[in-house]
Amino acid sequence: MRALIPLLFLAAPVHAADGERVQITGEVIDTWCYFSGVMGGPDAVVGSAHHTCALWCSAGGIPVGLLAPDGTVYMVLKMDGDDTTAGGDTSLHIASHTIEADGMLYRRDGLNYLVVEEITADRDIVNATHEDFGVIPGFAIPNSEAPE
Amino acid sequence: MRTAILACLLALPAIAQQATLEAPLPDTLFPSNFGGDYVLTDHYGNARTQADPDGRLQLLFFGYATCEAICTVALPIMSDMTRDLSARGIEVTPLVITVDPETDTVETMGPALETFAPGLTGLTGSQTDLARVRDLFHVERTLLFTDPRGVDVYAHGSHIFVMDGDGGFLTLLPPILSTDRMVEIVESYAAG
Repeated sequence: MRALIPLLFLAAPVHAADGERVQITGEVIDTWCYFSGVMGGPDAVVGSAHHTCALWCSAGGIPVGLLAPDGTVYMVLKMDGDDTTAGGDTSLHIASHTIEADGMLYRRDGLNYLVVEEITADRDIVNATHEDFGVIPGFAIPNSEAPE
Repeated sequence: MRTAILACLLALPAIAQQATLEAPLPDTLFPSNFGGDYVLTDHYGNARTQADPDGRLQLLFFGYATCEAICTVALPIMSDMTRDLSARGIEVTPLVITVDPETDTVETMGPALETFAPGLTGLTGSQTDLARVRDLFHVERTLLFTDPRGVDVYAHGSHIFVMDGDGGFLTLLPPILSTDRMVEIVESYAAG
């Protein structure tokens, strides 16, 4: 079975179906740091501990994702109220927030893409990972010195 | 700020937990197509439309040659993909459409790209023409700030678009995927 799965991903793309309407509750994550693992394990690069870095990455153009409780990550293709593909600074206000999203799910090349048509609830940052990890990474908050 | 962004972006390629992204279900159509007809100018000074002159698959990214954030990740990946796909017998044309035509001119764009993303062709044009092309691809561009050197720093979309030889949309690639995975995806479209 394990040998079959890569073959499925490598097969020629089939575009046979439309998206499906879904309601997903999850945390808006910084997909670069979450999937690269370079800033820490998956538990450390979510929530309040990683909020500042998530802002930097979003501003730098990294697409945001929605991490569902079952561990599934949905790449957010468009976000409520924005007519461009999600990324850049359009999602700063919800970085690290847990939201309830109503939208359309599309699958492409083995990835889940989500078009968030409406954020039906914004629970703010509820994943208090800073209590366990502090700021991840620490240098995400530059040393601030009062200007002379 | 730039240091923090760079520190986040210039780390290792995104491979560690990539498997959790995979969803072994049939593909579905995106809600809209990306792309359309355009005419810009490449960094050799030639007019360039959405169609590749040699009919090759095209990798298309929106960025700028002086970008020190996501472009320093995505553009070298496109350069590597072009090399790796060529080794598999698939020739593609990697293109970057500037979001900063004030800096990225016909004269400056080629040499700037060559320093960190060899083989890429830069496309530039008027602010109006470039804004229209961004609209075709649903790509945003926001001026974040001007750094102490006087260089404008932009936030902008970061997907790599895969287009066919006529400029038709095939798929898009989030920059968090590994180069190997992106090559596999493009190869599947070349075969299809």
